[in-house]
Parts: sequence; structure tokens; C-alpha cells
Amino acid sequence: MNGDLFRALTGFVPYLVPEMILGAAACVLFLGGTLRANRHLWGSVALAALFAAGLVLMLRPLPHYGTLQAAQTVRYAAPVVFDSLALLLRAFSIVGGIILVLFCWNAAPEKRAADYHACLLLMVVGMGLSGAANELVTLFLALELTSIPTYLILYLGKGRSSSPSSETRGGGEDGGLDAPAQEAAMKYFFLSVFSSALTLFGSSYLYGLAGTTNLPGLAEAFRRASQAGAPEEWAAVSPLLGLSMAALVMVVAGLGFRLTVFPFHFYAPDVYQGTTTANAAVLAFVPKVAGFAALVRVLGFVLPTLSPQEAFTAPLALPILSEHLPVLLWIMAAVTMTVGNVLGLLQDNLRRLLAYSSVAHAGYMLIGLAVAPRLLSAPDALVDGVDAVFFYLAAYGAMTLGAFAVLEYLGTSGQPAETIDDLAGLSRTRPGMALLMVLFLFSLIGIPATAGFMGKFLLFAGALDVPANIEVAASLEQRKLFIALAVLAAINAAIGAWYYLRIAAGMYLREPPPGISAAVKRERSWPVLAAVWLCAVLTLGIGVRPAPLLQAVQTAVPHGAETAPGGHQPAQEPPG
Amino acid sequence: MPQLLLLLLALPLATALLVALLGPGRTLAVRWVSLFSALASLLLATVISISFAIARTWEAPAVDITKGTLTFDSDWIKYKTRENLLPLHTTADGTVDSAIQFYVGIDGLNIWLILLTAVLMLTCVLVSWTAITQRVHEFHAWLFVLQLGMTGVFASFDVILFYVFFELTLVPLFFVIGIWGGPQRQYAARKFFIYTLAGSLLTLLGVIGLVLVLPQVEADHDPGQSHRLTFAIPELIARVGTLNRELFQEVKQLEQAPADMEANLQQARAQLNYWRHVQLWVFVAMMCGFAVKVPMVPLHTWLPLAHVEAPTAGSVLLAGILLKLGTYGFLRLSVPLAPDASLRFGVPVLGTLAVVGIIYGAFCSLGQDDIKKLVAYSSVSHLGLCMLGLFALNEVGLTGSLLQMINHGLSTGALFLLVGMLYERYHTRKMADYGGMGARLHLLAVFMVFITLSSIGLPGLNGFLGELLALAGMYDFAGSQVQGSLLAGLGASGVVLGAWYMLTMVRQVFCGPLKEPPHQGHEPITDLNGRELAALLPIAGLCLALGIFPKPFFDTVRPEIQVVARIAEAARKRAEKDAFGHELQTSTIHRFARNGLSLAAKGGERK
Repeated sequence: MNGDLFRALTGFVPYLVPEMILGAAACVLFLGGTLRANRHLWGSVALAALFAAGLVLMLRPLPHYGTLQAAQTVRYAAPVVFDSLALLLRAFSIVGGIILVLFCWNAAPEKRAADYHACLLLMVVGMGLSGAANELVTLFLALELTSIPTYLILYLGKGRSSSPSSETRGGGEDGGLDAPAQEAAMKYFFLSVFSSALTLFGSSYLYGLAGTTNLPGLAEAFRRASQAGAPEEWAAVSPLLGLSMAALVMVVAGLGFRLTVFPFHFYAPDVYQGTTTANAAVLAFVPKVAGFAALVRVLGFVLPTLSPQEAFTAPLALPILSEHLPVLLWIMAAVTMTVGNVLGLLQDNLRRLLAYSSVAHAGYMLIGLAVAPRLLSAPDALVDGVDAVFFYLAAYGAMTLGAFAVLEYLGTSGQPAETIDDLAGLSRTRPGMALLMVLFLFSLIGIPATAGFMGKFLLFAGALDVPANIEVAASLEQRKLFIALAVLAAINAAIGAWYYLRIAAGMYLREPPPGISAAVKRERSWPVLAAVWLCAVLTLGIGVRPAPLLQAVQTAVPHGAETAPGGHQPAQEPPG
Repeated sequence: MPQLLLLLLALPLATALLVALLGPGRTLAVRWVSLFSALASLLLATVISISFAIARTWEAPAVDITKGTLTFDSDWIKYKTRENLLPLHTTADGTVDSAIQFYVGIDGLNIWLILLTAVLMLTCVLVSWTAITQRVHEFHAWLFVLQLGMTGVFASFDVILFYVFFELTLVPLFFVIGIWGGPQRQYAARKFFIYTLAGSLLTLLGVIGLVLVLPQVEADHDPGQSHRLTFAIPELIARVGTLNRELFQEVKQLEQAPADMEANLQQARAQLNYWRHVQLWVFVAMMCGFAVKVPMVPLHTWLPLAHVEAPTAGSVLLAGILLKLGTYGFLRLSVPLAPDASLRFGVPVLGTLAVVGIIYGAFCSLGQDDIKKLVAYSSVSHLGLCMLGLFALNEVGLTGSLLQMINHGLSTGALFLLVGMLYERYHTRKMADYGGMGARLHLLAVFMVFITLSSIGLPGLNGFLGELLALAGMYDFAGSQVQGSLLAGLGASGVVLGAWYMLTMVRQVFCGPLKEPPHQGHEPITDLNGRELAALLPIAGLCLALGIFPKPFFDTVRPEIQVVARIAEAARKRAEKDAFGHELQTSTIHRFARNGLSLAAKGGERK
């Protein structure tokens, strides 16, 4: 075997150490949970594993390849690649994992706590790997690594209504789940399996057409095939291109389930409402990160750039994507955000409301992907769409997890937070929690100085930045479409503000129901409180100083102007 | 000394935090801390404005229209701080060449508005002394956050920073109305928030769109150079001005050129037309946010509700400052950044809507029984006048409009104060419940009459000059887009109607036989006390000072106003020379403006 190839196939192993630590810790938790039931012990172990993984990741962030040859071999042969996008997503998932472990400290009954945390660790591994996958097979494995533990935690969580004090007398081994929670778990399980099957089916088509499962190789095959003729003739020129549409639609549909994109969002409100707050938060965060990472990788928005000598490869080597994909994503973005926001107006249950909110935010993020094909190769674009998506994903994670964490904290300390009415007058009984919740809500609305504003700003800027050649009518038309998308998003943000404000108004403008303030038993859960504060710091931090995160996402997504050899080129448009 | 302005921005923030930390128990401490902070702000603002005004009087910068680009010269901006907030592009040698900046400063357009903010904040703290008894520390904390937002909007010279502060004013006012307001407070607060948010999100789109498209158009026009993004308002204005001039001149030159240049001519026209479309949509997008805030007539429905439900301090700041954010936005951003669209679209549409607002607001006021509602609708009418002067787009009108912003802030702010004081005593705002109160509350009546006279424009008080200049400016409108004299004549009817409803209110409440509303009598009704006098006297003093000796005001604002006026003048000259502008004019929105709305548009322009 060729030495370079051998190194490509084995060389990634040292860089997988963070994932190995997490996996090993998960095994320890699964086994140890049978010996001792102690949520504090196992929670600390999980946290320690995450910190260790983060430390290792920091010490060895990116591999170096001596020659261009070696980098190219890795690119076309290795099952996982560690480029800067992978690094970003692995860092995301570890930080998210720390928040989730703290958040879910009390989510499971004492006996199941170890299993619950083990599942969380596996999800972190899955999220990170779906950002690093360079193969359809690895990608599918990584996605399943996030899905399968989710099925487990939906069963592991305790019943909605039981509080920590009732757990000792509460049901035996299997007793925790009430009917809605069981329904939620079943619903999620079947739909998720179905969507995985769709993704797999689409992937099998891609493999059959291109003869490889390697993602850059796939892109290369499609590029060669499509050089034969104009877009209208592709189907005639090569069956590969015609069929690839079908394959890609299936892949996008399968991933759309994870992103809660219309029309695959129907499960979200029911599942979020039926299950516990902690589980709902996990569902709102983990599948979205994994789904966007997978979408960006499989559609070829970001092809791995592993060596500085390597020339920038124009993304979306699949011309069929740059022609037809924006239309698909445009429609999905427009419908998803509108449906999410309009239906959100009707909700009273907080988790259901946040479910529709997460649908709406998925719609906003799709704007970034819809405009990306036009922006990624434009030399002077302010953002390139994909980086705005990942920026928004971080902001979304901080603010949504924060909002859920506040609910969880209230729930664990003896004040159920099921509906908006339950929060009435919270500013009087719990001023601190109310203020933090308001911070998260305003961030979800997109008020300046919060993470949500910067996220929306970058997405809007992407949609408005689509370059147009004023002599070509079609290019002007396209530009108008994207501007219309930005306007639609702005209107949607205003619609969404109404239901977020309902919560804020309930907490601040209404009086607490009589008896609440007296009956409050201040039973604090420090880990959950830490999760709330961590999210608050991130939300405010990203909002006030967005530069570091923006820089991180911009380095993660290679861009035409910056990596092209010889610095940036002057803005010259090809004639015609 | 840029630190003074930074201090003026930092002080409210620090006070808000301190007051919030003081907690619910220490009410008196909260009030005193707030009072001291408001006094310190006022002192700072006074020092800044007086030193600025003196500097301007000695060495007023001259505006030279013949040379260079027209913009707010960055040398004119005093107390300037300019730091990169979010670097967006770095050149090869590591310098940041495009960034969102923290760019604040003082110039002729914002100086008096910043002072007004500080004055009204002091009165707000004073008037809330006894009126607010629930959750006192929260109230004051939100009040100071609001002050930060308002001062920040006026002081910003970066479009994104402007927007950030603009939005930041929503949050505190939402709570101030929603928690301490009247019976319908929740609905009022949410309606206010959603209306303004929806508008301002579109403003954000317009601003980002302009910033992003400008370099693209420049690159098409002049491919040789690199065109970076900029968010700084002076640079944006300069670049927009240059682009406007160059694109237009190119077309005009090519029209003279021999026929074989036809292809170039077509290309130049396409570029110019494209750029004008961009400007038009940028203007419309910005208008959405600012027109809601002003409020222009079809979008004004949140205002009476918010005013009536808000506590006195909220009403004072809402009327006094927050409505000005809209007119100020038009003056600072819309007109200089989209001069052609302002002239072709803004003047007919907004001029007409302003006149409609003046008359409609006045008749609504006339029909009210609730004094606070009467004052609220009078704001709609007065701000219509302000907009009318602004969209006269000449020096006289713009000066009048800016003066009217200050005047309205002073007099309507004071009116809300007085109404609040009356309400505090009798717990009713119905005019029919009152009569002959002049005999009972002498001082309050004196102030009410004084402020009413200022508000209706008695010569010698501040209102007169503002109204006169705004109307004169519109009468003098030089373009052919609207019949200036007709609009000014219709607008002048608002002044007459204003006198009618205000004096009717004064007669009903303060004159005639004494008729006191029933009051429970747990505390005796007394005339104004020292605290209330302290709240009213500065405002009344400023009304008088501005009426008698307005010269410092005019001297300070002149250079910037001249710049805006000349930017608009250049647009008007282009419009006159424009023989092929029909493509823009037949666009849907323009047709809508021309046929559907403008009472006063003259038909003969297009021929």
C-alpha cells in the first residue's frame, strides 16, 4: 500500500482522541450506573470527560500535512477530515455538551442519571463527527450516533409532573413515563428512523451514480459529468445528473426532519410538549447542529481545505446544486419560518411555543444556505451564507438552551413552568430568573446587544449581498428574490416578537397568582443554575463582542477571496 | 475631550445598574441616586452644548458647494470617539478597512436634541417622585436604560450603532408602559413594541442594503479601484453623493456624444437607473421604521394608546424624545443617503401624509374629552408640521423642522407633565369633570396657559419660529414634485386648529365657574410644590429663551443643515435636467405615490 494512502487511512486516529475520551467515558457511565446510583457522581464524571476532551482538542486542534500530495490523499481517501470546519463544530458540540450535562443534571431519576449522561456524551461525539465526516458512511454513522441516544433519553427522562421530591416514592424501574411522554417518544422514534432511512436511500443513489462515497470525490464526479452541457441538457447528457436531483431531495428531506424544516416539523410541537423540558432542549439543539453540519458537508458547501498550499476549490462543484438548490432552500426557508412564527402565535404551552420558535429559527438559518451558492464564490461578499448559518447556530444554541434552562430551573425548584400563565408575575417571585429569561427572549426576538441580533444581522446581510450583474435581467430577478426573502424574514421576526413578548409580558406585567410567592420552596439546583448563567453569558457575550465568533466561523468556511492564491482579486465581472 | 460624551453615555448605564442593585427596599436612596445622576447628565450635556455652541459661533465652518463632496465633514464632529466594534475585512498588512464602529460625536444636528434628552430626564425623575410607588428601583433602572438608548441614537455616526440604540429604546419603554401604565397597559405596550419593531426591522434591511449595494454599484461604475464597505454615516453620505453626481454626469456627457457611443449610453443609463431603484427602495425601507416612530398618519394608531396608558414620565419621554427619533432618522439618514428618492418619492408622499396628519391630528384632538388623549393627538398634528418642514428640503424648512423637534419636545413634554400633575391630584383626565381650576390651582394654571401659548405658536415663544420656518420652507419649495404653497397653506390650517383645541381645553378646565372633580379627600389639594416647580421651570425657561433669543440655535445648526439642504438641492437640479427619468417614474410605487396619494402633485411635470 502506498505510504501516503496508509497514512491517510490511519493518520486521523490521534486526532480522534477527544471523541475516544467521550466514548470511553460513556462506557464507564453505562457500566458504573449499574453499581451506584448517584447523579452528582456521574454528572461530574461526564463533565470531567467533556473538559478533558475539550483540553485535548485545544492541544491538538488541526493536523498538518507536509505536502500537497499528502493533503490531497487525505481529502480523497480518509473517512474523517479535520479541517477548520470540523474543529469549529467539535468545539461547538463540546461547549454545547457541557451546557447540556449541567442542564440535564436532574433530568433523569437518580438510578438512570448515569445512562442519561452517557447518552449525552455519545450525542456530543455524534455532533462533532458529523462535522468531520468525509464519507457518506461516516456521516450516516455520526448522524445515527446522535439519533439513537435521543431515543433512549426520551424513555429515560422522568415523568413530566414528578418533582425531585416525589421521585423517591415514585414508580419503580419503568414507572416514570406518562402517556404523552410515551407518545412523544414513540412519535420521535418512528419518524426519526424513517428520516434516517430516507437519508440512507438518497445516499445509496449518490453512491450508485458516482461510484464513491467520498464527499469530495462525489463532488468531483458530478463536476466532470456536468461539464458536458448546459443545465437543461444534463438529464440527456448524463443520467447521473438527472437522477442526482432525486437523490439530493431525499437526503435533504431526511436531514430536514432533524432541522424541523417544513413539512417535516410536525412532530416537534407534540414531542416537545409531551416530553420533559430537558429532553425538549436536547431535541432543540443536538439534531439541529448535526443536521446543519451534515447538510453543509453532503451538499458540498464546504469542501475540506487541508493544506495552505491547496488552491481554493469553488464549493458546490455540483452545478445542479447551484442552479436548483437555492430554489428548494428558498421555498423551505420562507415556508418554515412563516409556519413556525404564525403557529407560534397560537400557543400557550411554553415547550410547544419554543418548539414552533425552533422551527422558525431553522427557517431563518436556511436563508444562509439558500444564498450561499451565490456568495461563496463572490470575492467581496461581507458574509458567505454558510458562516452566517454557523454563527446563528451558536447564537440559537445559547439563547434557546438558555430559555429551556430557565424553565428547567423553575421546574426543579418547585414551580412548574408548563404554560405562559405559570410564569405570571415571575419578576416578583424570581426577579433574577425573570431577567435572564427576558434576556433570552429578547435575543430570540433579535434585539441588539444580544446574540440573536448579530445572527439575524449576518443572515440579512447575506441575503442582501447577493451580487447582481445589472445587465443581465435574470441576475437582477434573482437578487430581487433574495431581497424578498430578507424582507419576509424581517416581517417574520416581527411576528415572532409577539409570542416572545407574551411570555415577557406575563412575567413582568402581570401579578403573580396568589399563594405562589409564599409557597415557594427555594430548592436550588446549582448545575442547572450554572447552565442558565453559561447561556446568558454566551448570549450577551456574542451580542456585545461578536468578533471572535465571527472570525472563528469565517476561518471555518473557506471563502473565494481569502484563500485564492495571490491575495484577493479585484472585483471584475466576466462579460455578459 | 471625547470623554465627556462617553461619560454622558456611561452615566445612565451605570445609574441603571446601581439603581437596580439597590433593590426594592431602598426607595428613597433610589430616587436620590436617580436625581443626582439626572442632574449630572444635565450638567454634562449643558457643558458640552455650550462649549460646542461657543466654538461654532467663533469659527463656523463654511460649506462650499462648488468643491469636493458634500457631507457632514468629520472635522465638524466634536467629542468624537471612533473604535472598531466588529472588524469585517482586514487588508494584507493587518489594518482593518471595513468595520462596524462605535462612532459617536456631537454635531449641529444632534447637540440640542441631546440636551433636550437630559432636560426631560431630570423632569421625569422629579415627576415620578410620588407618582411611582410600585417597584421603584425597576422603574428608574428602565428609565436610565431609555436615556442611554435615546442619547445613543442621537450621538451615533455609524448606521449599525444607530440602529442598535434605536432598537434599544424599545425594551425599556415596553416595560415602563407595561408595568406602570394605565388599565390597558399590556395591550398598549405590546402594540407599541410590535409596531415599532416591524418598522425598524425594515429600516435595518434598508440600511444594510445600502451599505452592501453601494460598493457593488461603485465597482460597476469604476472597476479599477477596490471599494470597501463602510458603515460610517459621513463616509456613506460622501460616497452616495459622489456616485449620484458621477453617474448622472456620465449619462449627460454621453448624451452629447456622437451616435456610435449609443451602447455606452445605454449602459450608463442602466447603471443610473439601477442605482436610483436601489435608492428608492432604501428610502422606502428606512421610511417604514421612521414613519412609524414619527408617527405618520396611517401608522399612528399605536401612539394615542401608548401615550394614554403610559405613566407621566413615559409619556413625557415618548412625546419629547422618542418621536423625534423618527424625524431625526429622516434628517440624518434618509434625506442625505437617498436624496433623489427623497425628492421624487419622499416629498410627494410624505409631504402629503404630513398635511393629512396635521389636519387629521388636529380634528382628532378637537374631538377628545380626555386631556391626555388630546395632547397625544396634538403630537400627531405637530409632528406632521415638523415633517412638512423637513421635506421642504431647503435650508429654511430644515431649520424650522429641527427647531420644531426641540419645541415639540419642550412644550408637549411640559403639557404631559401638567396633565400628569392634574391627574395626580384628582385621578381623572376628563375635561368635563373640570372647570375653573384656575381659581383653585393658580400656578398650575399659569404654567398651563404659558405652555399652551408656546405650543400654539405665540410670537415671542419658541413655537412661533419653528412653525413659521417650517411653513415658510414648504411655501418656498423649489421643485416641481408638489405645489409647495398649497401644502404650506393646508399645513397652516393646523396652526389655527391647534390654537382652537388647545384654547378650548384651557377654557374648559381652567376658566369659568369652579367645578372640582370629586376627590376622596385623603389628601388636601394643593398648588404646585417645589419639586413640581423644579420640573417645570427649566422647560418654561427654555421655551422663553428659544423664543426670544434663538440665534445661538441657528448658528450651531447652520452648517449641517446647509449640507443637507445642498444635497437635496443637487438632487433637485438633477431631476430638472433629467429627460429620461420616466423609467423610474413609471415604476409601480411611484405611480401609486403620484396618482393615489398626492393631492398636491402637479401634473404638468412629465409632459
